[in-house]
Amino acid sequence: MPARSAKPVQPIWCPGCGDFGVLAAVKRAAANLKIPTHELVLVGGIGCSGSIHNFLEINGIHALHGRLLAQAVGVKLANPALTVVAAGGDGDGYAIGMGHFVHAFKKNASILYLVMNNETYGLTKGQASPTSQIGFEGNVEPPFHAILTALSVPAPNFIARTFSGDPKAMTAILEEALRFNREGRGFAFVEDLSPCVTYNDTYKLWREKVVDVQTLPGYDPTDRRKMFGLCLDQIDQGRLPVGVLHRPADTEREGLEVKLLGERPGPARSAIDVGSNRAQYEKLLAALA
Amino acid sequence: MSTSAPRSAPLASETPAERRTAPIELADVSVMIGGQGGDGTLTVSDLLGRYFRQRGLYVYTSRNVLSRIRGGHADASVRASREPTSAVKAQVDVLVAFDQQAIDLGRPELAPHGFILYDSTSFRSELPNSAGFPFATLVGGPLGQPIFKNTAAYGALSVIFGFDAALTRGVIEDRFRRRGAEALDKNLKALEIGRKAAQEAAGVADRFSVVEGDAHDLILTTGNQAVALGFTVGGGRFFAGYPITPATEVMEYLQRYLPPLGGVVRQAEDELAAINMVLGASYAGARAMTSTSGPGLSLMTEGIGHAGAAEIPVLVADCQRVGPSTGEPTRHEQSDLAHLAHLGHGEFPRFIVAPADPVDCFDLTIEALNLAERWRLPVILLLDQALCQNTTTCARFELAHAKVDRGARLSEAQAAALEEYRVYAVHEDGVTPWAPPGTPGLWSEVTGNEHDEWGHVSVDPVNRRKMMRHRMEKMVRAREELPAGRLFGPAGAKIGVVGFGSTSGPILEAQRLLAARGIASRYYQARTVFPVPAHELDPFLASVDAAYVVEHNYTGQFANLVRAALPWHHAKLRSILKYDGASFRAPEIVAGIQEAR
Repeated sequence: MPARSAKPVQPIWCPGCGDFGVLAAVKRAAANLKIPTHELVLVGGIGCSGSIHNFLEINGIHALHGRLLAQAVGVKLANPALTVVAAGGDGDGYAIGMGHFVHAFKKNASILYLVMNNETYGLTKGQASPTSQIGFEGNVEPPFHAILTALSVPAPNFIARTFSGDPKAMTAILEEALRFNREGRGFAFVEDLSPCVTYNDTYKLWREKVVDVQTLPGYDPTDRRKMFGLCLDQIDQGRLPVGVLHRPADTEREGLEVKLLGERPGPARSAIDVGSNRAQYEKLLAALA
Repeated sequence: MSTSAPRSAPLASETPAERRTAPIELADVSVMIGGQGGDGTLTVSDLLGRYFRQRGLYVYTSRNVLSRIRGGHADASVRASREPTSAVKAQVDVLVAFDQQAIDLGRPELAPHGFILYDSTSFRSELPNSAGFPFATLVGGPLGQPIFKNTAAYGALSVIFGFDAALTRGVIEDRFRRRGAEALDKNLKALEIGRKAAQEAAGVADRFSVVEGDAHDLILTTGNQAVALGFTVGGGRFFAGYPITPATEVMEYLQRYLPPLGGVVRQAEDELAAINMVLGASYAGARAMTSTSGPGLSLMTEGIGHAGAAEIPVLVADCQRVGPSTGEPTRHEQSDLAHLAHLGHGEFPRFIVAPADPVDCFDLTIEALNLAERWRLPVILLLDQALCQNTTTCARFELAHAKVDRGARLSEAQAAALEEYRVYAVHEDGVTPWAPPGTPGLWSEVTGNEHDEWGHVSVDPVNRRKMMRHRMEKMVRAREELPAGRLFGPAGAKIGVVGFGSTSGPILEAQRLLAARGIASRYYQARTVFPVPAHELDPFLASVDAAYVVEHNYTGQFANLVRAALPWHHAKLRSILKYDGASFRAPEIVAGIQEAR
């Protein structure tokens, strides 16, 4: 009989928010993969989307603004048996958290980073974000395209983009991303286009602009160079490429936690009492002269 | 005077009349070796330290380097004493100089009886009590490279001090054997070149003799190494940090110690990532820490506050250096204390513990890990540059006292038996049982938002008061468990001294100097500096007429904390402050006390 633990609370999101689609897809993907509740950790960022951990029956930890990836990597390296999802918004990930975002691809820890991109700061009432279009709330800076940055780091990551208007496709992609993580293959980045119905309602516009990359001539998710070109062409034409953008050709277990720990249980599950380690400690101390 | 060509003949610039017949006997000797970075000053210091230790003396070494890889003035000092010592000696007995700047910088510290040994390859000095030998030229011919000049200088020093020849050679063998036969052979030759030159010069041999001591079976180590070992033995298995002087060695040692034990060490992209990786690992159930210095600490401040609010245990070692901003990265100060005591926005509990020497570093790191996990909060290990990087002869670290106490961590069986799991349950004793994610049958919500016992976000005023009291009262409830301070000197002495960290070394020496003048003093060494150990300081301050708070900062940060905690002792507190980047010399503390009296 499981102990009664924290129960999910009602989402704080506005009716119709794109994040509801993400919540549903995460639930379905976790259920389809039969991930036990106690083994699933969701690290939430700061912003509307980052509160998602409160609405799931799950281990939730709310990180500082922009630092969810660092915390998520720490969780995974401490206990590689956990399935770790970091989830936040475009401001959290691409503005204040940008340094960690780029390094996450390089580190390649087997965690899923799910960014709900609505091209605005919703929770603080509609300011321009790093992905805002020119002209939005007086924005004069060109929008940042996270998928291009993702594709530019030569590391064996899983990279995909989804649209909250297509929850079925999103569920399939999240399932693949979580399987990729659980096999220890490395970092999975999924950007979901998740409209903010209050400050930047783009549902109609985005439905017209999304293009499934699988339908593009020459689609090959193992070819990073070609995919970068395909995506850049689509972006230049004002379209929003969605689908699996990169998937390593091989199935090697290249996750950071595998490289560092192999099959060892990890820092959180190691016996740390003095008795269990006495021989090694005595050797370390005896080496002092 | 011509200074054109380097001279190959020994220069002993003193008249035979000045030649002392008997060597000056020293029970406490200091040698300073100065030159350009890359001259090998640290090697000379290391060789001397090895020799003195074999003679049963306590050794303390320090260095003064610039924040650059090569070049620039660098000096190293080695002190050897029959008494235990953790301080730089106020006066230098022998100054070894590889360039003119080393003489200019070292001479003000030279004792009246002091002697200067210098490399006359590129300059000469007409100072009294000095001898120059062109070490670089002397070794450069037969050995092909001038770099062996430092070993030749060690050879000349062995003659100046009348070292035992076989032991002098044994030190070279111990140090260079692992570098291969050729390196060993060349260093042995350089040693003989240096010895021969000094023996043949007039008035150089046997200037000093150093007494033997009885310090044996001790180790020579730094605070940084002791912290890394304490963390390892205390069950620490996750470390993330970012390179920063003078904290980096903690990470470097742990890169060696932890992986074979199944631990993880990561060099993060910045200090923001380092502290947050540590928070993630700790939340997941690992014992985790980071180490940093001033600028990194500023970046970690938000994360440390998060640990306080979300009740995530974390250990942060702050190796203080000269601040603010980039300050003087390689130099000594104790000026982060006020920041640490008040660190972060909002209010949250924290413990700050301050070890004084490597043994204390080892023990208190283990204690700090236990405290952090039991009370679910950030603990700061307050260190300083001299403690972190200077080497001290000290007792072997004891496994016997090491104990890993995981606080109220629930076993899987205990967790399975729970009817409900509230991650922020408020208990009367302030200690909350916990289980890491992955424990079958339970899960939790952990957040830095104000929350109820379940971890649900809450702005309810009744809940806010309850949770604030729960967190803040940890600082009161834990008081008796926090590391106790130590008292030195006779009870009843009317002169009190208060200090923490590496200032303990010079304070203890100052007490001996005062005692030699018939002045009794009593020293309270704070090992918990925040919350201020008022229960210890109150009776201590009541017992003395005046208390001199010795610290390395401009404003008297610890004195101010003590004053705030014990305002009725205000009139007794006097500050002895130093903020020039160098650690206290004992006579400075003696002078501070005598001037104020």
